[in-house]
Amino acid sequence: MKGKSIAESEYIEKSERKDEIENVNRKRRFSREEKGKGKLVVETDLESEDESLVDVSFSDVELPAEEVKSPDEKLSKRSNRRTSGGRMERFRDAARRNASRFAYFNTREEEEENNNNLSVEAEREIPSVEEHIEEKVVEDWPGPFSTAMKIIRDRTANLNVRQGSSSSDQVPSVQIKWVPQKGKGKDGSKRLPPSLLDLSLRVLVDNADAIASLDHVPDAMRHKLCQMLCDSRQMNSNLLDLLLSGSPTEIRLRECSWLTEDQFSECFVKCDTSNLTVLQLDYCGQCLADYNIPSTLARSLNSLPALTTLSLTGAYRLSDAGLSVLVSSAPALRSVNLSQCSFLTHGAIEILASSLASVLLELFINDCQSIDAMLMLPSLKKLERLKVLSVAGLESVTDKFIKEIITARGDGMKELILSGCGKLTDSSLKIIAETCSSLRSLDIGNVPKLTDNSLGYLASGCRSLELLKLCRNTFSDDAIGAFLEISGEVLKELALNNVGKVGHNTALSLARRSRNLVSLDLSWCRNLTDEAMGLIVDSCLSLRVLKLFGCTQITDVFLYGHSNAKVEIIGLKLSPLLEHI
Amino acid sequence: MKKVDTVKLISAEGMEFVIDKEAAMVSQTIRNMLTSPGGFAEAEHGEVTFPEISAVILEKICQYFYWSLQYSRGKETEFHIEPELTLELMMAANYLHT
Repeated sequence: MKGKSIAESEYIEKSERKDEIENVNRKRRFSREEKGKGKLVVETDLESEDESLVDVSFSDVELPAEEVKSPDEKLSKRSNRRTSGGRMERFRDAARRNASRFAYFNTREEEEENNNNLSVEAEREIPSVEEHIEEKVVEDWPGPFSTAMKIIRDRTANLNVRQGSSSSDQVPSVQIKWVPQKGKGKDGSKRLPPSLLDLSLRVLVDNADAIASLDHVPDAMRHKLCQMLCDSRQMNSNLLDLLLSGSPTEIRLRECSWLTEDQFSECFVKCDTSNLTVLQLDYCGQCLADYNIPSTLARSLNSLPALTTLSLTGAYRLSDAGLSVLVSSAPALRSVNLSQCSFLTHGAIEILASSLASVLLELFINDCQSIDAMLMLPSLKKLERLKVLSVAGLESVTDKFIKEIITARGDGMKELILSGCGKLTDSSLKIIAETCSSLRSLDIGNVPKLTDNSLGYLASGCRSLELLKLCRNTFSDDAIGAFLEISGEVLKELALNNVGKVGHNTALSLARRSRNLVSLDLSWCRNLTDEAMGLIVDSCLSLRVLKLFGCTQITDVFLYGHSNAKVEIIGLKLSPLLEHI
Repeated sequence: MKKVDTVKLISAEGMEFVIDKEAAMVSQTIRNMLTSPGGFAEAEHGEVTFPEISAVILEKICQYFYWSLQYSRGKETEFHIEPELTLELMMAANYLHT
């Protein structure tokens, strides 16, 4: 045990100066314990570390056991002398501030420090060590975010002082005043009658084989029908034939895994695609390959003249060459979704850039693991009108990539989806905030290295942000609260899915600011009480959808006590899950 | 039944259906026509013509209106739809926003 504690104390010594006070405290404890022991190796270590602070008389350390007490006394005298020094006071405060960080081992933070060494090479402007960034935040912006943070922190601190609690984690930091209002709100037992449209659709789906024709049915109806048919696995090639008959304008199949290659060829060979504007064949891996494109979709160079939206997710047999054939037949493409097309490489982006550079507005390449972000960068920069970029799940997306593409195309960017890009750090968010002033929608879920600073950058930079999606992020309740204080008014959709630290500050800011919020996802936010939830729902008058998956702490007190009649609460009790995907 | 509490819905063939105003307002489209301050002819005369909706479908729609009122008052029954009507019914329902 002794050996271990010495090793521990050595480790601590090797870290920065401000921990010295901690060392002193710890060692004092050791020496008291080890009164009977002869060797005072502990003292020697302290001496070797910093001579300026330790008196020379400390070298008398190798004393026989009887005189153990004296170094102890000397030590305490020295500490007493130190207390009067102003510098030590500062160190002590710094140690107090940082003690919690050293006492608690967080794998994520360690990972961050390891990986930050790599990002330092890429990003020299901002120091990568977490502490430096935190200090820099306070100095850099006398802006609204830091003011809001300060207000929230002071509010919490005052409450802690009053309640005498030392850890803000244990105490619900702010009081939420909300009482359930009986009888005013949505009566749990009263249900809205299903619409005639829904009823007819259900009957249609049940009798799908009997449908003889879909002529004259408007596209919106067709899409709804297809969606329900796909969801219930009743979609088949006969129905597809009906959809493709005539000269269809929009085909949306969100699930084509039932479609075989032969069926695909048969159906599309005779389809008149001259008026097709939207083609969505999601999960088409089984039916779509390089060799059947020329005979079906790309029959001639101008076979898809009106096509503006193309979605071929999950086409795992589609190669760059196959895409090239397709793109050459569709010169007017504005939105391309090639997510989960695992065969495509950066060559695919080159192909898109060479023919669609001046027209392409939206590009989705989620989970295309063979596309290397840095290799596709030159081609990506050529897309002059890019407004929507989705690179979710791409491991090769780094801070350097973001810096380059945002510097080139950030001005016009309206929507960025970066969920699952685990290598990104705060520096990317800084650049996004500084450049993308017209950003409407941002998804940074599952990017664990982002700290509260990112929210600060977003609050000061992206003033038009209407949609923000967070998931499993490590932002603090204070920071989210402060962000909402500033940016909450404009927000229409907010997801805080599994952002564990969400608590009362977030709830208060939501209630105060988010008057335009329509959709809110607070799934897995276990720190929110019935009162907090009630306050949010009763104050956010535009709220229509509230997702509460995993919030088992929410009870009927909230469910039957809130007074917002228009909000639909999903995820508690038994809501049909698939409807909301 | 006072005359002002009813509306007349006229199908493509000219068949007229007189129903309660409350029932007709289940349809958002009809509600807008009857309540908007724009001075619709429909609002003045209490009549709405649907040249694209046949009598059979319009009759079914009126049945739906009453069923819907019953449902919101607590009596939750099933609304049966004959399969052959479904396609047209769906499109009419979409138009009527109901």
